[in-house]
Amino acid sequence: MSTETTPATPAPDAALGLGPTLECVTVKVWELPVRVIHWTVFLSVVALSITGFYIGTPFVRVSPEPGFLMGWMRAIHNLAAFVFIAAILARVIWAFTGNQWARWDQFIAVSKERRTNGWDGFRFYAFMTSKPPAVLGHNALAGATYLVLFAMFLTQIVMGLALLSLETEGFLASTTGWVFTVLPIPWVRFIHHLIMWLTWGFVVHHLYSAILFDTEEKTGVLSSIFTGWKRMPVDRL
Amino acid sequence: MPVLAAPPRSVLDSLLNSGVTRRRFLEFCTATTAVLALPIKFAPQIAQALETAEKPTVIWLEFQDCAGNTESFLRARAPGVGDILLDVLDVEYHETIMAAAGDQAEAAKEAAIAKGGHIVIVEGSVPTAANGVYCTIGGKTAVQILAEATMGAAAVINTGTCSSYGGIPAASPNPTGATSVPDLVSGVPVINLPGCPVNVDNVVATIVHYLTFGALPAVDGHGRPLFAYGERIHDHCERRAHFDAGQFVEEWGDEAHRKGWCLYNMGCKGPSTFHNCPTQRWNGGTSWPIGAGHGCVGCSEPDFWDTMTPIYGRLPAPPGFGVTTSVDKIGAGIVGLTAAGFAAHGIAKTVQRKRAERANETPIEIETTAAPGEEGAER
Repeated sequence: MSTETTPATPAPDAALGLGPTLECVTVKVWELPVRVIHWTVFLSVVALSITGFYIGTPFVRVSPEPGFLMGWMRAIHNLAAFVFIAAILARVIWAFTGNQWARWDQFIAVSKERRTNGWDGFRFYAFMTSKPPAVLGHNALAGATYLVLFAMFLTQIVMGLALLSLETEGFLASTTGWVFTVLPIPWVRFIHHLIMWLTWGFVVHHLYSAILFDTEEKTGVLSSIFTGWKRMPVDRL
Repeated sequence: MPVLAAPPRSVLDSLLNSGVTRRRFLEFCTATTAVLALPIKFAPQIAQALETAEKPTVIWLEFQDCAGNTESFLRARAPGVGDILLDVLDVEYHETIMAAAGDQAEAAKEAAIAKGGHIVIVEGSVPTAANGVYCTIGGKTAVQILAEATMGAAAVINTGTCSSYGGIPAASPNPTGATSVPDLVSGVPVINLPGCPVNVDNVVATIVHYLTFGALPAVDGHGRPLFAYGERIHDHCERRAHFDAGQFVEEWGDEAHRKGWCLYNMGCKGPSTFHNCPTQRWNGGTSWPIGAGHGCVGCSEPDFWDTMTPIYGRLPAPPGFGVTTSVDKIGAGIVGLTAAGFAAHGIAKTVQRKRAERANETPIEIETTAAPGEEGAER
């Protein structure tokens, strides 16, 4: 099984043999909106996590003088939440309008080729091969991970809006009130906390994988999220 | 005392007979208008309705309860106003307060039921396990008694969390199969007035609403009237300013506690609980739990005993872990383990790469013939 490979793989080990002697092409893989969305999501998740952690566990002792610390934390949390929601929405739209490496089928392996690529990715992680899966955008395994992340984000958004609706009336309450018929309010908060932590678990994995692939694959994946460009030996295209 | 013409058996007639003055009566109508969150122009309408309305027949059933709601009912605020409901309601059956006993009491109940159009007030949950043997009165199970009493009834009013949602008897593991009244009654309008116990002001207001408008008040998704359960405790709490300021009690009896700061860190469930406690208060409007320096336990929420605990913790304990373990500890643990796992993976991957590079000095790519699953087979 799994002997089928992409046309590039029978060539001398591209991942390991990549050096100045091989001719490389540089490709603009990540378009500007993808990069902007990426960093918007990152920054808003940082802001949401810090303020959210404070809201959950007020760790800052305040002076006896009256202030508005919790009020500001909650205001920033709500603001960052709507920035985050906007970024996720934009990314979903871009999954249908962006280039081939931004499209929805990068996250859901519908083609046989992508599924093989996902298996190659698993073999790479499971030490079954030292060769990273040949791909210019996300490998299919990474794509599936982002699908899980999207699901987590969607849950987080719905639960966050439902919790916000506790203190409001009208549209928000009528669209998200059903959440509390499924789960009691304290458990919604519980899961809201848990997904925050799982998101940071994802960040650890994401950063590690980026460094790993940058080291093993040498396609410039780390810098690509700033510049958009990745380089590939011609024989792997 | 001014002489007023009131139809016999009417609410007002009863009131006048029991020495309530016209002024006192109007005060009551105005106060109840406020409890119902109605504009003050409704006060005359309520007064008029009570003047002419016939005394409603009430059957008060007690099942798996602690009689706390009866206690609350008997301690209705302010003499004259508070006693009003007790005086004006035709309470045909109430185990705790009725004079009759035995067959006599049961006969009175059956007569009231036969007439129909009565209001059934239920206190306590209904056990359904083992054919309902865990609660029987006069040889009948609670399930049977409830079914009989609600037949032909005009409305069912659940007082307290147990009849509304099952409450403490229905808490895990629920050995008696305790069930809420709404799960057992159909075909009759049912309203839930949860709380542990119910606030009698809300019972009075609900009945007055029924007498005035001929219908039960509008309810939320949990069957609770919006006038009493439409707003969150946290949003009307007198300590809310301390919450917004970030001023929290950290320990019972600390300086912050003595100053009356926010009880959020002490596990107060005000942010998760809908009830008019902060505005309506208890014991004749003198105080309420948070006002007395203890956090809200969320007693008017469904399944509060299971979902709002630990009482002194902010969030539920993760299932399978001890109650002292928080979701944040679990979460931080997950992140730590992920980091440790990937650190180990990174080391192993580096070793694999180094070995591959060494082997690669005489590169032979036989990937296409390698059996997957055998590490290093391609070399």
